[in-house]
Amino acid sequence: MNRLLQLGLLLTLVATVHAQVQHDFWPGRERVIPHVSGDEMWSGTYKNWKDSEAVKKSMAAGMMSRDINFKDFRWLEKSFDGELKVDMGREVFHRKSSNGRSCATCHGENGEKLKGWYATQPRFSAKANRVIVAATQISICAKEHLSEDWPENTRNNSLLDMYLAYLSDGRDVDIDVTSGPMKEAYEKGRDLFFKRTGHFHFACASCHTGVTTQSYLRGQRPSTFFGDAAHYPIYHFPYRLPGDDVEDIFTLQHQIKSCQMLSRMLPGVEGSRTLTAIEVFLKASANGYKMSIPTQEYNMSTGYLLRDGL
Amino acid sequence: MRQFAKPLLAVAAICTAAAAQAQTAGSISGGDEMLDRIRAKWQPGGAEMIPQDVLTMFPCHDEELPCGKIPPPPVERVTFDGPLQGDAKRGEAIATNVRYGNCIACHILPGHEGGTIGPSLSEYSKRGMPLEYTYQRIWDVRAFNPYAFMPVYGPNRVLTDQEIRDVMVFIGTGGK
Ligand code: HEC
Ligand code: HEC
Repeated sequence: MNRLLQLGLLLTLVATVHAQVQHDFWPGRERVIPHVSGDEMWSGTYKNWKDSEAVKKSMAAGMMSRDINFKDFRWLEKSFDGELKVDMGREVFHRKSSNGRSCATCHGENGEKLKGWYATQPRFSAKANRVIVAATQISICAKEHLSEDWPENTRNNSLLDMYLAYLSDGRDVDIDVTSGPMKEAYEKGRDLFFKRTGHFHFACASCHTGVTTQSYLRGQRPSTFFGDAAHYPIYHFPYRLPGDDVEDIFTLQHQIKSCQMLSRMLPGVEGSRTLTAIEVFLKASANGYKMSIPTQEYNMSTGYLLRDGL
Repeated sequence: MRQFAKPLLAVAAICTAAAAQAQTAGSISGGDEMLDRIRAKWQPGGAEMIPQDVLTMFPCHDEELPCGKIPPPPVERVTFDGPLQGDAKRGEAIATNVRYGNCIACHILPGHEGGTIGPSLSEYSKRGMPLEYTYQRIWDVRAFNPYAFMPVYGPNRVLTDQEIRDVMVFIGTGGK
């Protein structure tokens, strides 16, 4: 009988834990794949925006913005204001620090040796002994080689981030999450994306999957998490996170933090393991999608509003 | 072992039911004092834009912090004590303010354009839904569906009992 009770209690424990776990995560983690085409299983609109030709065709056919998963309002046009930030980033890249060196000393005039690099970030860094985002690599380089203190959320770091991303304009995002620490980071990021947190008890997935995507969150347009990361950092005016001096550049780290703040979650620290893992997940969900840098949060065309009759 | 399976499951089912019952009585630790603290921070015009100390009381993303290990708030099943009394004007302010209830982010409301994520509530009163239902849905929507999209207004003390009543008067629940 004793044995029976014990077993009963054990089963109860399992059942109770199970009952709680079901509220811990938003459903669907098992349905994600690290490729942009994975969207087919979520919004089912992938074919309408899988490349710029497809976006143009969909718009010409008079499709509603939401049928293009809201990828139409930014994806086709470069941002003029963003170009100015690229220029400023180029200037920082070539600026000599007190020890006479600049980023160009190691990475070539106009970043010759870093073409395509950004499309493969984040990656595992043997030196840091963990997976890091581009902004963390920038801050490590700045400290070691230039004796500069440029952490992830500072102005020079963000300008360089924009410039380095620009050097990968047109490349397909390509990060390998099939094994090792990158696989671990991807899976952790995925779980965090689906984890319910904060005052509202929302997950990132509450707004970026299901009925919330392709709907209007008041004036805003949440889309599925596939593909978007290929366009980061973006020019985002007039938006600035409290305490940041980022020249209106929104890196993916800023975007994650901003979404956390807006949905009453505890904002993370840029470059931390946690936000890095979420970035790995988002970037891998853009694998196979072409980078387009620089673009901006909203383009000036309001055609999509007319098409949606709003 | 085989012949034990059934009684075992029965015991487990009873215990689980008891556990579920216990969950319904849950509330955030710290009681009313905590409630006041949360609310002073979030109310419109509150001093801080992002009250970090309040947010660490709920589950968070960072697994290296204590909040990374906080379990989800237990589902709260509530009963509605009538009659419904509230202030429609206050309800409107709560429903349309981004630092308050912010229902408008997802719903079209009487007299207001809004988001399209949830169903329009502009004619909600005509549907004559029971007060009990509407109250529970706003208090803790997970009682109906664990994956419903609304914030958990009651369990996390986003809104108080009276504020939910104000909102109900504003959307004109029309129920009995
Ligand atoms: C309450 C809703 C909500 C939650 C929760 C939320 N987001 Fe967002 N997110 C949005 C909206 C709305 C937009 C589009 C903003 C706009 O239209 O200006 C957006 C945009 C984004 C984008 C940029 C997409 C694009 O347009 O290129 C990323 C990436 C993103 N969110 C990631 C996240 C992550 C990571 C989390 C969790 C930490 C999260 N979001 C949680 C509402 C939300
Ligand atoms: C993040 C989005 C969101 C917010 C914020 C939100 N709701 Fe909802 N609401 C929904 C969705 C989606 C549904 C449909 C059922 C579901 O999935 O929860 C719904 C359903 C409802 C219903 C039931 C409608 C019916 O037809 O039965 C009521 C009543 C309601 N909401 C009231 C409110 C009130 C009042 C507030 C603010 C205090 C609010 N909602 C805030 C998304 C939201």
